[in-house]
Amino acid sequence: MATTVEPTSSVPAPVSIQKRTSNRTRFWRAFRRNRIALLGLIIVVLMALGAIFADVLAPYDPVEPHYTNRLEAPSTNFSLGTDELGRDLLSRLLYGARISLVIGLIAQGVAITIGITVGAIAGWYGGWIDDVIMRITDIFFAIPGLMFLIVWVTIFEPGPVSIFLALGLISWPGDARMMRSQVMAIKELDYVIAARSLGASTTHMILRHVLPNAIAPMIVLASLGVAGVILSESILSFLGLGIQIPVPSWGTMVDASRTYITTSWWYGVFPGLTIMLTVLGFNFLGDGLRDALQPTQYNK
Amino acid sequence: MAKYILRRALQIIPTLIGILTALYILAYLMPSDPLRAVLGEQYRRLDPAVVEGIREELGLNKPFLVRYTEYLGQVLRGDLGRSFVLEENVSDIIAYRFPRTLQLMFGGLLVGVCIGIPAGIIAAQKQYTWVDHALMVISLIGVSVPIFWTALLAQLFLTQSKYGIALFPVAGYEDGSLIHLVLPSLVLGTNLSATLARVTRAAMLEVKGQDYIVTAHSKGIAPRIVLLRHQLRNALVPIITVVGLDIGYLLGGSVVTETIFNWPGLGRAVVPAIERRDTPVILGILIFGSFLFILINLLTDLLYAVINPRIRYS
Repeated sequence: MATTVEPTSSVPAPVSIQKRTSNRTRFWRAFRRNRIALLGLIIVVLMALGAIFADVLAPYDPVEPHYTNRLEAPSTNFSLGTDELGRDLLSRLLYGARISLVIGLIAQGVAITIGITVGAIAGWYGGWIDDVIMRITDIFFAIPGLMFLIVWVTIFEPGPVSIFLALGLISWPGDARMMRSQVMAIKELDYVIAARSLGASTTHMILRHVLPNAIAPMIVLASLGVAGVILSESILSFLGLGIQIPVPSWGTMVDASRTYITTSWWYGVFPGLTIMLTVLGFNFLGDGLRDALQPTQYNK
Repeated sequence: MAKYILRRALQIIPTLIGILTALYILAYLMPSDPLRAVLGEQYRRLDPAVVEGIREELGLNKPFLVRYTEYLGQVLRGDLGRSFVLEENVSDIIAYRFPRTLQLMFGGLLVGVCIGIPAGIIAAQKQYTWVDHALMVISLIGVSVPIFWTALLAQLFLTQSKYGIALFPVAGYEDGSLIHLVLPSLVLGTNLSATLARVTRAAMLEVKGQDYIVTAHSKGIAPRIVLLRHQLRNALVPIITVVGLDIGYLLGGSVVTETIFNWPGLGRAVVPAIERRDTPVILGILIFGSFLFILINLLTDLLYAVINPRIRYS
């Protein structure tokens, strides 16, 4: 029936409101709708809080041995059990979070910095510069990462700096490729051409016009990259080649548990679970960011 | 086509030389005298003149550039040198150990393909249902799980132990024994199957809306046939790319898997060689691994043309 049609329905109010919402608001709306991404953010924040407040939260000293409580199963006293020297696993995991998270963030920082710089240069200048850079990228891409890491730490003793560098060095090629393709697409867009014709300097164009518009996929890659780096570091520690310090990283704990795995399941299970949860958190987060930063996917 | 193959093959030569150079410099930087590692305790008691003689014999006292060019020439002739410690040629070590690593890699690949691709197809078919969500969460967990931990869990629950059922042997290798291959393959394939499930889902969805799929459906072709012949076939390119790229992961993962499962492959040769500073062995295995990776990716590139005739090379 024609009478049911409301005359006001033709007013395009909702459309104009939507047009006014900023990119940031739209991003948050998309991000919040993604429960998995939110879960990832919660995991990451909790792990970070655990690492920051480890000395407040840890019920016991992470290094001091208590020989009377060796290899105790999880109980009210030791919620995650103890290791072969009677140290509380929960306390050790909390302190270990500092190492794993710091390594993950800094090494990925190194990787993404190299990747963005190298990729931007290759994509912007093109020609032989691009050719040379991409061949070098191919080389780093082809060398088996883990084997490279192992060789690296035997050359440059596994101190913090060498580990950051090594993990960064094996992780950047993917970032560089993505950045390059972003820059190649953006540099042909009208607003860059306009800036160029107005006489903008190369630095200005790259920093003000290209980078901000290329950054979204890089944030996604960075989040996924932190997950990858934490995983690689744990493998290195597991092989006994990680940073040598009294408070072990999570991978070292799993390695130490191998001798006792058949009799004390908690010793190996909880550190591994912690690594998995942390990595999962960053992966969830990266995945959610990707969906939230690519509005086109939501319009489908 | 032949022209394309030739061009691609020629293109990888600079990359190969670059890898060789990068790895050689890395190995050259290795600390401590390899001689000390070779001779062990004897080193201190030896006459310096004798040590000098051995260095000369091993070619360790020549300048960097000379050693580098010699090594390059050697490798191009297919000779990877001789181990400092073991009385063996590096190529013989690789020839003995690589087939065993290959078994593992093949096992891992089989696990990855058999679980990952069907899971991805199902997720794409049931897009946005709980099945899809569950599969994608599981696959993210699969990507996040540390490989050494999966190995430990497998040993804990699937072998003879306090908590497990004795389905498989804890570790070890026996010629032609498939049962020893099961656990290491499962462990190595977990991550790959998770990655493949995600890539397959994305690729299947990408193809789903294409006109030729709609046409095939409207022609009345059975949905199952459309799914496999039209949709999957066109989704195969990204799937194969990922498989090719993950060969590098399988090779790296074999270091951990072989160490835990006591498997006499290439990965398990690397760690002791590094402890002994046995440069020719380390270098040889790394070079071999990188070349293998490049070769497999060249092959996947060529496979595209076979799978997807729309890709025409000039």
